[in-house]
Amino acid sequence: MDGPMRVLVTGGSGLVGRAIEQVVKEGERREGEEWIFLSSKDANLMSAEETRSVFQKHRPTHVIHLAAMVGGLYKNMRQNLDFWRNNVFVNDNVLQTAHEFGVVKVVSCLSTCIFPDKTAYPIDETMIHNGPPHESNFGYAYAKRMIDVHNRSCFEKYGRRYTAVIPTNVFGPHDNFNIEDGHVLPGLIHKTYMAKKEGKALQVWGSGRPLRQFIYSLDLARLFLWVLRDYDEVEPIILSVGEEDELSIKDAANAVVEGMGFKGDVIYDTSKADGQFKKTASNAKLRKYLPDFKFTPFKAAMKETCDWFVANYDIARK
Amino acid sequence: MDGPMRVLVTGGSGLVGRAIERVVKEGERREGEEWIFLSSKDANLVSAEETRSVFQKHRPTHVIHLAAMVGGLYRNMRQNLDFWRDNVHINDNVLYMSQEFGVVKVVSCLSTCVFPDKTTYPIDETMMHNGAPHESNYGYAYAKRMIDVHNRACFQQYGLRYTAVIPTNIFGPHDNYNIEDCHVMPGLVHKTYLAKKEGKPLEVWGSGRALRQFIYSVDLARLFVWVLREYDEVEPIIASVGEEDELTIKDAVDAVVEGFGFKGEVIYDTSKSDGQIKKTASNAKLRKYLPDFKFTPFKAAVKETCDWLAANYDIIRK
Repeated sequence: MDGPMRVLVTGGSGLVGRAIEQVVKEGERREGEEWIFLSSKDANLMSAEETRSVFQKHRPTHVIHLAAMVGGLYKNMRQNLDFWRNNVFVNDNVLQTAHEFGVVKVVSCLSTCIFPDKTAYPIDETMIHNGPPHESNFGYAYAKRMIDVHNRSCFEKYGRRYTAVIPTNVFGPHDNFNIEDGHVLPGLIHKTYMAKKEGKALQVWGSGRPLRQFIYSLDLARLFLWVLRDYDEVEPIILSVGEEDELSIKDAANAVVEGMGFKGDVIYDTSKADGQFKKTASNAKLRKYLPDFKFTPFKAAMKETCDWFVANYDIARK
Repeated sequence: MDGPMRVLVTGGSGLVGRAIERVVKEGERREGEEWIFLSSKDANLVSAEETRSVFQKHRPTHVIHLAAMVGGLYRNMRQNLDFWRDNVHINDNVLYMSQEFGVVKVVSCLSTCVFPDKTTYPIDETMMHNGAPHESNYGYAYAKRMIDVHNRACFQQYGLRYTAVIPTNIFGPHDNYNIEDCHVMPGLVHKTYLAKKEGKPLEVWGSGRALRQFIYSVDLARLFVWVLREYDEVEPIIASVGEEDELTIKDAVDAVVEGFGFKGEVIYDTSKSDGQIKKTASNAKLRKYLPDFKFTPFKAAVKETCDWLAANYDIIRK
């Protein structure tokens, strides 16, 4: 492909999309490149016609595909059919339309939460399809896994090198902070903000014992750009801090409390589900390619996120 | 649901559909029941609009969903992307429209060829998602597996008891006998017919050592009707002869040769792929429900199929 890239980012108004927008603005953009950030206002990607229209309008050479129906543990448990169907439509529309419009490369977004539930640890990129996912989000999980099936079969038939990244738990500004439906860190941040404001205890759902690797959205954004430019494999790549940086939910809650300057009680409601106990992922493949990549220290990233939330409470998605 | 069923059969003009049509005509139909057999001429089920129209026209209470993009080993190896996409669209359209139109029950059709490649034997209904399918047909395999994902998610979210049947290798009249694209039994039947007619040797692809359980389409049809009326689980059920009736491809060749009275030479072209060496399935669940069900003896079923092909050669799909 000659000339500079024209990159379309679906889900551009979300947690990861906004982070990519920030790093592109702050120095990652190259001469002549065009970056277009779409949101659901621009097109409903569950519709093939609307997807086609938006590709026709922008004629991208590259796509970063982040758009999805996404939710935390409790929402997934209620709506597995919707998570399956809506995401399969979005993904098929974007990948198929990209191929039809001659897009050179699509980088989609998977997640370690889609891996087999019964597995050895740490998980790595070769293990995605080795067994059923966790019961709590099997609809979402299968829809995401099928991106990899589509990529492999598209490469087989057309030689297209469409690929995907697999982040662990992402956090940062511009997240969905809705307490019922959001993920663990934005949920904790929002709840701590409310607890502090109302002078009440912070109630954490679950035991606090599950383990997670957290990746700051800005670090993930920088890695997305590297994958877009320099990662040539069709097989996806895990983007995460190392196994040695795995934290418990309790560790995360403590960092949120510190980041928000919360002085009240912290209570763990053990009647609520914990979700998967661990999802430890290996970042050996990433380290093979980028041995010197530096992740933002967790507490600093948490402080930035808390500060952002406090400063932007009115406009934050919740 | 009150009153007699109105049953829509998608893929009604195919191997299994024609067998169901026959058993319904020959005594399985009950008072007041209506059975509608659709073919691709009536609707292109890859299209959501056309699927909706056909549901609007017939307003079924029940659906037997057989329509699919189907092929034998060699076709699948070339076109995994198309097998994945077209079948996912067909399945989603039929299952979703069924739900929209208040269909009480849908019985879809899976296959033992969608099971994990690396597995212990015999395989049973609980093992379908326990690992990646065989490389040769993963597009088709994942699309079929996702029917079960859809059924489970639909039951979880809406309480609908949509289910599926898992036959082993089916054969019978009205099959697709195209030698390039079809399955092993119809391929053998067609090639033996031509070899006899042209006085040439019969060339069998592969070593003849691969093992299969074969089920006669007319027996499968009777089982489909039983599942529709009496089987209440959402988890699918294997419909097959027992493990003790597993045969080699060579056994099948011998039965076809006998069925036609073919006297010429039989050559095994070992340069051609065997596909999966075995796929032994347990029919224990079926036997628990129907301990006395009688399968048509293999040689008699093969003879009927050979006779049918010879009598109908001009109109067969080839």
